[in-house]
Amino acid sequence: MQRYLIKRIFQMLIVVFLALTAVFFMQFLAGDPVILLLPMDATYEEIAEMRQRLGFEDSIFVQYFRFVSRALRGDFGQSLRHPQTAVQLVFSRIPATLELALIAVVVSLLVAIPIGVLSAAFRGSWFDQIAIVITVFGQAVPGFWLGIMLILFFAVTLEWLPTGGRGELNNLILPIITLTAFYAARFARMTRSTVLDVLNTDYIRTARAKGLTERRILYKHALRNASISIITLLGLQLGQLLGGAVVTETVFYWPGLGRLLVQSLLNRDFPVVFTGVFFIAVVHASLNLVVDLVYLLVDPRISYD
Amino acid sequence: MKRFWNVFSLVLLVTLLLTSSTMAANEVIIGSPADARTLFAMKFIDLATHDPISNIYDPLITRDRDTMEYIGHLAKGWEVLDDLTWEFYLHEGIKFHNGAPFNAEAVKFTIDYINDPENEMAYRGRYSPIHTVEIIDDYTVRFHTSEPMPILLDRLTSCYILEPGYVREVGEEYASLNPIGTGPYKFTRWAQGQEIVMERFEDYWLGTPEVERVVFRPIPEFSTRVAALLVGEIHVIRDVPGHMVDRVNSGRRTEVRGIPSSRVNYIALVNFQEGPLQSKEVRQAFNYAVNVPELIEFVLDGSGTQMAGCLSVLNPDHDPSLEPYPFDPEKAVQLIRDAGYEPSELKLTLDSPDGRYPQDREVAMAIADQLGEIGIDVSVRVNEWGTHLDRIINRNTGEMFLLGWGPAFNAQGTIESLMSTERTYSGFGLPWLDEMIADAVGLVDPDEMREAWDEIQQIVYDEAPWIFLWQQHDLWGVNVDLDWTPRADERVLGFEMRWND
Repeated sequence: MQRYLIKRIFQMLIVVFLALTAVFFMQFLAGDPVILLLPMDATYEEIAEMRQRLGFEDSIFVQYFRFVSRALRGDFGQSLRHPQTAVQLVFSRIPATLELALIAVVVSLLVAIPIGVLSAAFRGSWFDQIAIVITVFGQAVPGFWLGIMLILFFAVTLEWLPTGGRGELNNLILPIITLTAFYAARFARMTRSTVLDVLNTDYIRTARAKGLTERRILYKHALRNASISIITLLGLQLGQLLGGAVVTETVFYWPGLGRLLVQSLLNRDFPVVFTGVFFIAVVHASLNLVVDLVYLLVDPRISYD
Repeated sequence: MKRFWNVFSLVLLVTLLLTSSTMAANEVIIGSPADARTLFAMKFIDLATHDPISNIYDPLITRDRDTMEYIGHLAKGWEVLDDLTWEFYLHEGIKFHNGAPFNAEAVKFTIDYINDPENEMAYRGRYSPIHTVEIIDDYTVRFHTSEPMPILLDRLTSCYILEPGYVREVGEEYASLNPIGTGPYKFTRWAQGQEIVMERFEDYWLGTPEVERVVFRPIPEFSTRVAALLVGEIHVIRDVPGHMVDRVNSGRRTEVRGIPSSRVNYIALVNFQEGPLQSKEVRQAFNYAVNVPELIEFVLDGSGTQMAGCLSVLNPDHDPSLEPYPFDPEKAVQLIRDAGYEPSELKLTLDSPDGRYPQDREVAMAIADQLGEIGIDVSVRVNEWGTHLDRIINRNTGEMFLLGWGPAFNAQGTIESLMSTERTYSGFGLPWLDEMIADAVGLVDPDEMREAWDEIQQIVYDEAPWIFLWQQHDLWGVNVDLDWTPRADERVLGFEMRWND
């Protein structure tokens, strides 16, 4: 187990390193950040001087070496646009992203698992049919459109909820509905199909033959066995959400990581982009590891020794 | 199930109570498309940064809001001692928000700070001709410039004065997040990505502002920004697009207030590249072939004023004798033939940004259509703003590109920056015109300046480096109860606002 963990952590480091290297070299495709830092009437001399000061005149490999040696010390540099370091900026946005992601995932699971299990249990019933329509809709409708529609209905027409922002409980409702519509639909469909698979297995038939109640069969046997797939999906989706729900954050002006990163990318604020990618890569790799460890708890057949 | 409905009702009730408690008295919330980058004056350049800064800091000089003529602000007057020396007389008794006095040292410190390359100030290039600021006494400063600088007053309208003691004590990084100025509003708090809050400065030297609190709230998505305005969560937004004007005007609490801006929009006709656009006749032909009034009416919903030449009529240096090019497609075809081409031979690319200027992409497409009417084949390439700017600066555009310029209140700021060969914002340059511009820039006598700039404007008009389009109209979405008239220089100042009773 210990060897497994060490191996996985080593793999994680490689993934993070490769992600950062890829993003570093991709920055050169994005264009010159200095042009966006100076007023439009800046002369070529001023642009060249600023490039020199910021180190963009050095060769790509010199820049890369400098970047790696700093990154190893946890120094991603000063933001090109804001008065803070890139690390400070990214970390200042993590609480908002965490808040939105965790609540969205919990609400999605609370909505999706009962729907998925019941759909599977009553396959072909009217409940199942409605659930399928709703989940297909939830996955198909763009978050951007849904967000705007929710704002127009609940904020503009009914004036019940604010259009966006963060700070109070009611700021959360519309973004959470927007995210839940998508994620709950995905979880529900996954739950339904895996529970359906499990319900057709021999051991469920045996459980029925033993005379267990349908409820017990569903929640004790079927759902538990289906949980591996759900946990895998949960790990992936949570990773995605922790990287920032870009569209939802933008529509509801939620001050999260996704919005910061997209803005930084458009502004070519590369230190902030690197820090954000570093954070997202670490989160993804860690979640993968956690998911693999959770399998141990859920399925006694799995072992990493 | 009953328990579920009980919980649901409770949540709904709490929500409604929370919503209704968000109204606060006597504050103005301004919705902006992006967050400020810093609150340190002169460091960065976009509107989202400038808007809060212009409420916290004061400049030495400002413009009369109606005539846009220079008027003193922190400086009560000035005198040109010779071509290279200006003297400014400062108001006495003005205090910074921390109680420190405003004086000549603050002016000197600010200019020196901007001009120190170590400080990496975005605007350094605009002030670098000032080589020394000499303190004559506490309230008199003398600017010595290395070359004649008639544009100095214009530059000083956006030169916001720093508090030297504070900046020295806390450093730039801290002062960027906790600014101190002499302006009408004192900084209170900045939750990045959420809001910048400022309270009125009771001791403001021009009197206590009417509005107690001004908040800048970044709302990146335009539809959300309009929704927030419609329901009264925010009170002012800039740049309402033409197609949303009716929606905002039909809101119970909102209306659109428009004002012609000094910002101009144009299509550059690139003469750096070999090809038909190196011919003056062809460039003129494009001006005859594009029906600018029709574009203003149907693409901009009337929100533009056609230009005659390269300066807007709001620009005090504009030559009033110039008339817009009339729409005359036959003449356009004739001119192209005179230059030795057939319109159908011309296959050109028009670069446009997307969302930077009012309806920019739609304007580009409509122009391509209009040129298509006389047989010219124009394909439009739409770019993200950074890429668009990259292309222009690296001379990598198509034969035409769309750009805006402003606020522009003097000839030099526009013509020198746009029409010199070494600059790329028009994709145009003529060595003999460069010399004329350089001569005009060195003039300080008002009559000689006017004569020189009028002559250059006439040449630019004839050379037609652009399809001269229009000066933008700024369309502000405003809460109807807010007593505030937008300004032609795009500034949004809480000090000029009050709520109707």
